Amino acid sequence: MDALFPWLLPVLYGGIGNLAAYLAAHVLLCLLPAFFIAGAMSALIPRQTVTRFLGRNSSKAVSYPAAVAAGSLLAVCSCTIVPLFAGIYKKGAGLGPAITFLFFAPAANILALVYTGGVLGADLALARFFLSMVFGVGIGLIMALLFRADDEAHDQASDTLFAAAAGEGLQHVVLLFLGAWVALLLAGTLKVGALTGAYVHVALPLEAARDWQATLDWLVPYDAAKGEEGVSLQGMVLILLLPAIGVCAWQGLENIQEGVNGWTRATLTLTWATLLFAALSVQPMDGGLRIGLTGKFFGVAACLAVIHFIAWRRLAAEALQDWLWESWRFVKQIFPLLVLGVFLVGMMRVVIRPEWIEAVAGSNSVVGNLAGVAFGVFMYFPTLVEVPIAHMFLDLGMHRGPLLAYLMSDPELSLQSILIISAIIGRAKTAAYVGLVALFSAVAGLTYGAWVDGVSQVLLAFGLAAFIGALAVLIAVLSRRPHSLKGI
Amino acid sequence: MLNIKVLGPGCANCRKLEEVAREAVAQAGVPAEIEKVTDLQAIMAFDVLKTPGLVINGKLMSSGRIPAAGTVAEWIREAG
Repeated sequence: MDALFPWLLPVLYGGIGNLAAYLAAHVLLCLLPAFFIAGAMSALIPRQTVTRFLGRNSSKAVSYPAAVAAGSLLAVCSCTIVPLFAGIYKKGAGLGPAITFLFFAPAANILALVYTGGVLGADLALARFFLSMVFGVGIGLIMALLFRADDEAHDQASDTLFAAAAGEGLQHVVLLFLGAWVALLLAGTLKVGALTGAYVHVALPLEAARDWQATLDWLVPYDAAKGEEGVSLQGMVLILLLPAIGVCAWQGLENIQEGVNGWTRATLTLTWATLLFAALSVQPMDGGLRIGLTGKFFGVAACLAVIHFIAWRRLAAEALQDWLWESWRFVKQIFPLLVLGVFLVGMMRVVIRPEWIEAVAGSNSVVGNLAGVAFGVFMYFPTLVEVPIAHMFLDLGMHRGPLLAYLMSDPELSLQSILIISAIIGRAKTAAYVGLVALFSAVAGLTYGAWVDGVSQVLLAFGLAAFIGALAVLIAVLSRRPHSLKGI
Repeated sequence: MLNIKVLGPGCANCRKLEEVAREAVAQAGVPAEIEKVTDLQAIMAFDVLKTPGLVINGKLMSSGRIPAAGTVAEWIREAG
């Protein structure tokens, strides 16, 4: 035991430190709004606004963009992804758009994008979004071509599922509501001087503050040189606020179908308070705390006022309940696993040697990108945990190219998702899909990595065009054969 | 006897809807059997694009959201 302890202690500290850093102000300011936005999208956007473009009679130019829109707007969890995928495939626009939807959904839903942007940087989030879109449509088109005989023979069932309810449109108030949340998200996370600078300073005479901070530093030692953050007083208050919200939510949101109660109001009030507090700048100084009212704080406050007004005065009671339930469900489903994942990642980080990562994926090589993809395929992490994992790799010296290859392949391909897909479309098509995703993820990583390394955009565009051209030729050759591949 | 089907592959929402349905049956006081449908082909047959779905006596009453137990009890009384 004595021999084990000195070895175990740094590992434990690694886990706690990582957790503290992820519950710090800047991560909460992106994660909390993201859960509420995801809930609003899931509960308040009528599916028909998008799915009516996914019927069997829609042209390719309509159905593929609609599949992309469905992926980012409607699909935040498997409750939507699996039935929508099966629906588009069996009764709607067919295999191609269904595959596009399936590929795009895990990479580009609001939670994944916001969290990637907040933790790893906006450039990686944008690259993830853009390359997933291009390659998602590409993979969909290829699959539709490869298996076109199957698609033609498919049951000519009526597409009432998609054509039917076109009546219910997206309400203006919902659009405004989503807009206010997105504005809050931007105000809270954008790193612009006007937002991060403090305009009013308030000195809080709190003698003990310095001692508290010293205690926190002693409890969670950190090394600033390694990019570790430690726990600030502000972070500690935020960490204490989270369980308080959780307790209120358990009373107020768990049975929200039966109506709003006092606990519901308490939950929302505490959440608003957490967001506002996270937007402040708090620094210990001689004899107290220096609290700065930042641009962020005013921005978040203004957005919250709009959100609060719409939620209580403009949304129908049923819509409000649905929104709160969906948001709470996402929190319940994702947050505990995320916390556990972050803790474990922090422990792993202490053990893994940077040299190993650098040797395999330190540069933007083909091998590095393939290694990123292979890791993504064979590892399965719960939703969003891929982001702290990627963060760890980044800190350990992984190049951003292979990192993107990993980020693209990990949520797309896991044993679980492969099993579900093969139950719906058969084994041959699943094998083709998995191969294509692996190939395209590696190409996406290489492309983005080359861009990061400063390769000229003309050359990149040329390379991508050549890759797509080669694929097109390959498909043309394949499609000349009288019998196209048949799935089971 | 009334037949109530809860459609859903087994996600959190489907379990919640099953709870709500049981409570609604107790409220309505109408004899009913609650059946869970997890097979995707069977779910698709009801033209459901987002689970969970609630089917009472073969008729799809709601999909994609969890109605209040009181509302479901109302539906059960009407059907029964």
